[in-house]
Amino acid sequence: MSVAAKEAKPPRRSRWHSLEAQEVRRAWLLILPTALIVFGVVLFPAIFSIWISFHKVGLKELGNVFEAEFVGLDNYRAVINDFAFKFQGLQSWGAAVTSIVYSLVSTFVTIVFGLIAALALNRPFRARGLTRAIFLFPYVAPIVSVAFVWRWILDPRPSGVVNDILMRLGLIDLPQAYLAERGLALAIVIMFTAWRYFPFAMLMILARLQAIDRTLYEAADVDGAGEWGKFRHITIPELRYVVGAIFLLRLIWTFNKFDDIWLLTGGGFGTNVLPVLTYQFSFKMNDFGKGSANAMILLLILIVFLVIYIGVVMRRADED
Amino acid sequence: MTIDRTIARPDHAKRNVFEHLAHRLSLRQLIFAIVLAFFLIGILFPFYWMVSSSFKSYAEIGGREPVYIPGALRLDAYQELFDPAHESFQRFAKNMLNTLIISLPTALIAVILAIMGAYAVTRMRFRGREAMLNSILLVYLFPGILLIIPLFAMLAQIGARLGFEVRDNLTVLMFTYLAQTLPVALYMLANYFRTIPYEIEQAGLIDGCTRLSVIWRITIPLAIPALVSVFIYTFMIAWNEYLYAFVFLNDRSMFTMPIAINTIYNDPQPRPHVVMAASTIMTLPVIVLFLSLERYLTEGLAAGGVKG
Repeated sequence: MSVAAKEAKPPRRSRWHSLEAQEVRRAWLLILPTALIVFGVVLFPAIFSIWISFHKVGLKELGNVFEAEFVGLDNYRAVINDFAFKFQGLQSWGAAVTSIVYSLVSTFVTIVFGLIAALALNRPFRARGLTRAIFLFPYVAPIVSVAFVWRWILDPRPSGVVNDILMRLGLIDLPQAYLAERGLALAIVIMFTAWRYFPFAMLMILARLQAIDRTLYEAADVDGAGEWGKFRHITIPELRYVVGAIFLLRLIWTFNKFDDIWLLTGGGFGTNVLPVLTYQFSFKMNDFGKGSANAMILLLILIVFLVIYIGVVMRRADED
Repeated sequence: MTIDRTIARPDHAKRNVFEHLAHRLSLRQLIFAIVLAFFLIGILFPFYWMVSSSFKSYAEIGGREPVYIPGALRLDAYQELFDPAHESFQRFAKNMLNTLIISLPTALIAVILAIMGAYAVTRMRFRGREAMLNSILLVYLFPGILLIIPLFAMLAQIGARLGFEVRDNLTVLMFTYLAQTLPVALYMLANYFRTIPYEIEQAGLIDGCTRLSVIWRITIPLAIPALVSVFIYTFMIAWNEYLYAFVFLNDRSMFTMPIAINTIYNDPQPRPHVVMAASTIMTLPVIVLFLSLERYLTEGLAAGGVKG
């Protein structure tokens, strides 16, 4: 053993034993279980999904995926040419366009509801705490329960509440199947999404409203500003960032959402969106390669949107 | 004198009510009242409809017109739900148990792991800390439906090697729930830990406590409200979860409640009152938990931006 090696050894050992190094190892040890689960069950599958989308994976290949045949872009071609996916005029939007319309419109309506609710709850009145708690019910209740209650309220039989009320008012003569009509079904699904998720927007906006500096309003009072002027020139600018953040988060989550539409319409009657189509390709037709390709396209649309949103909208907000 | 008073009183009260009304009925107040009523009715009616429908008889639920107030608090639907004679419903007690078996450990493990992770992220310096935190938050971006195909293929592969079945395996399902809840839990707890002054813990460290005993004796007791809200949130996410259970569970006796309710709803003979009874059973604990701990939960929700 050479002298140099002997000399080189002690500093390395002391680095391994130094307090700082011990601290770092402990930190990694603490975060390791979380990291392992998240990487193992989320990040690795996400990467694996890219691989599957380029291979022919059916039920037969599922037991031994790595021997599946490489098919290049075939799965992607099959998805893009599928009648359920592509836009074929206004009568049949296809899942891609429906997804985009559904998530944009329902995110917008969600934020409008959330803003109105937050403004209402921002003023003091009796039982405000209880009202705020009730406003959160749609958000915390199980999706299955609320989806089926709404289906039961919209029931096509005369025993459905909406049918009964509209017939008593004389607005319709015969009971309608609201969730089985193109256009109307999409509108109802959008309203349901807004009904269920507005509390999220409301809470975030409410938290921001309560953090606005009171002196701004007092200064405006001194200047003789009206209610509308104060709202327009103080409240709205103060809310801009939080609304931008809510819009982004809700849009991503709505775009990825499977449960709501699946439980309400099963993706029928012009409400088929990309997550539901992914499910149908994968688990109804047992074509996992095509399903993965569809999911990758979904992710791609999402990323393109994020880049545009962050690049254009957020930058403009910064410049203002 | 006394007679005078009793006569004067109603008059006085009447004027008060009138003034009160006139005062109240300014345009702003009117709009405010209408908005509030619109929201309250829109939110509460579906919940009323769920609970009231669950108390209706089959005749009331299947009649030509909806019955707005059930004739009596009949428990027919609940009996049917647990009645062994009904093939498709008879295992609802088992389904409830399955949901509990999976959501309680999910919440407990998520809280324990998140305490460790959040502590490391907020209190210790190490390279790659930010990258780690950001990549965990990336989970927010991925659609659940994208992950389910590779997960299924991956687990089928591992399962074949190690000799366990992926379908109808509640432990496997629990791991997927952990992955969905851990990022939220970690994020919420890390936010809370940042509000606890580090000096308190440093004092403990200087006194010679180890890291683990500092976490156990100082950090955890100080963070109880946040721990409770993280526990409840992860519990709710697991309790309500639909998609993964729908794909991973095949056998009726392994179903969790959401999948069981879906099956009852799609029964060839529609029985809305039974669906509503099952939904009520599933919703009630969540609402009760939420109302009893509303203050903590709302704060946590606003701070963490819980995925949903």
